[in-house]
Amino acid sequence: MSVLTLPAQPAQATAPAPVPWQRMLWVTWRQHRAMLIGLTSVLAAVAVFLLIAGLDVHHAYTALTACRPVNSNACAALNTHFNDAYWPMGNTVDIFMNLTPVLIGMFTGPAVLARELETGTFRYAWTQGIGRVRWTIAKLTLLAVVITILAWAFSQLFDWFFDPIMDFEAMSIVASKGVFDTRGIDFAAWTLVAFAIGACLGMLIRRIIPAMAATLGVYLGLDLLSWLVLREDYPVAIDTTDANLFNGPSTPSSPWVLRTWTVGHTNWWRYIPASRFWPMQFIESGWLLVLAIALIAATVWLVRRRAA
Amino acid sequence: MTVLTMPSRSTGAEPPHVPWRGMLWVTWRQHRGVLISVPAAFVVAVTGMLIAGLKIHHDYATVLACRPAASAACQALSMGFHKDWHVANGIRIVMLAAPVLLAMLAGPPVLARDLEHGTYRWAWTQGIGRVRWTLGKLALLGSVVTIAALLVTPLFTWLFGPFFSTQDLTLLDWAVFATHGTVYAAWMLTAFCLGAFFGALIRRIIPAMAVTLAVFVVLAGVTWFCVRTFSPVTAFWPMQVFESAWLVVLSALLVAGTIRLTQVTR
Repeated sequence: MSVLTLPAQPAQATAPAPVPWQRMLWVTWRQHRAMLIGLTSVLAAVAVFLLIAGLDVHHAYTALTACRPVNSNACAALNTHFNDAYWPMGNTVDIFMNLTPVLIGMFTGPAVLARELETGTFRYAWTQGIGRVRWTIAKLTLLAVVITILAWAFSQLFDWFFDPIMDFEAMSIVASKGVFDTRGIDFAAWTLVAFAIGACLGMLIRRIIPAMAATLGVYLGLDLLSWLVLREDYPVAIDTTDANLFNGPSTPSSPWVLRTWTVGHTNWWRYIPASRFWPMQFIESGWLLVLAIALIAATVWLVRRRAA
Repeated sequence: MTVLTMPSRSTGAEPPHVPWRGMLWVTWRQHRGVLISVPAAFVVAVTGMLIAGLKIHHDYATVLACRPAASAACQALSMGFHKDWHVANGIRIVMLAAPVLLAMLAGPPVLARDLEHGTYRWAWTQGIGRVRWTLGKLALLGSVVTIAALLVTPLFTWLFGPFFSTQDLTLLDWAVFATHGTVYAAWMLTAFCLGAFFGALIRRIIPAMAVTLAVFVVLAGVTWFCVRTFSPVTAFWPMQVFESAWLVVLSALLVAGTIRLTQVTR
């Protein structure tokens, strides 16, 4: 009997090649189609409304500002009509805009991980070739990017819609919470943080509905903290004794007076000028972004250490 | 071969009717989340309102009794009372948000959870039958929610009393109207029934939550803009009775619709 022997083939790698990242594109889409399509359709429907109403508002405001002579009865009537017709609607939409980040976060965040944990399908999902850590990182990052971009685009449309109403009511862009939170990049940053909070709480609580309720609570706490406490301490405030800055008419460029105090016979004001709007936006979006990344990292760490 | 025949026994052949109180335990077991968090929120709300209300009434009495009325000290007291208005307004906003949250978080899972996970095949084939199962659950959860709202309303009415004169409000301002009288409890009930109905209709929890939120907001908006403006009555209590009545009728229709859906679901 002859025995055939062959040398071991060292070049045949026994470890399988890592599954490429772009496979997660298809998986994320497949698992979260409903959520992504639903979110886009709702935002698109509201966007259509904002577009139509916004054209109306802009048209009326142009007529109002072009009215001559300024103090006549006809112009005053236009003024009152604009206020009665557009302020209640604009204010209601503004309130909903301030609630939108947390609503988006509630409906998208926990659904990513808590659903798998609740139904037990994580035992299947996490034992795929790509491994649970890369699975979670890819999913959360993809969804976070898509949601943030959608939120940013939506907030730009709202800004255009709300501009005339903001001018009319002279709401300062730095002092009014309802205006600052929906302008620039702040809205997208808050939506990202809401999503990250939802994902992390979903992983911690492991049940969708309690995670949704907890996301609402944590987000509201963070929002109140930032509004009442943190914004006043951003390093953009100026101290001055010049009272003339605050004597003009209210406009969207009015400064935000934080507090006043008296030293001897001089009055001091601490205020934030409207020119510091973008630095404020960057500071707030900056720490929100860092927080969101930290929460996603915490979620990945929790996924890693959970015993299947 | 002899054959033994006996007359058939007509009594005792049917199984005994499962008593309704069996559903008490089942509802508790399946919906401990709602049955614990609603009373807990109620206790927190009552405590908060008692503390805030006592302070508000005390401050208001001090402001009213301050003499001379135009002095700087009395003006300062008035400014301090303004802070109490912020607290009361905050409580009012939370009260207005509660039905929305209830509609979204508590309503749909009652039926949608069983339907989404497929466990309805087991739940509905229990001895009590699917109609009485659903009715028992909705009745218990709906009652808890409505009673909590009914008990909170007089407390909030007491808390809010001083502000009618200081903030120049009337009972017919919409945010005041919605938190006084019986309409608040009626809105809570309608919110819950709306959630349960869409849970049974859509059969997936999260889409049902989104749809319930949207429909409830639209309903509240339509009521605010259209129904109250074109209401056939204009005094406070007749409007309250009218609105509570049509909300209760709507809730009954939603419950009937939910039961019908459970009957036709395969």
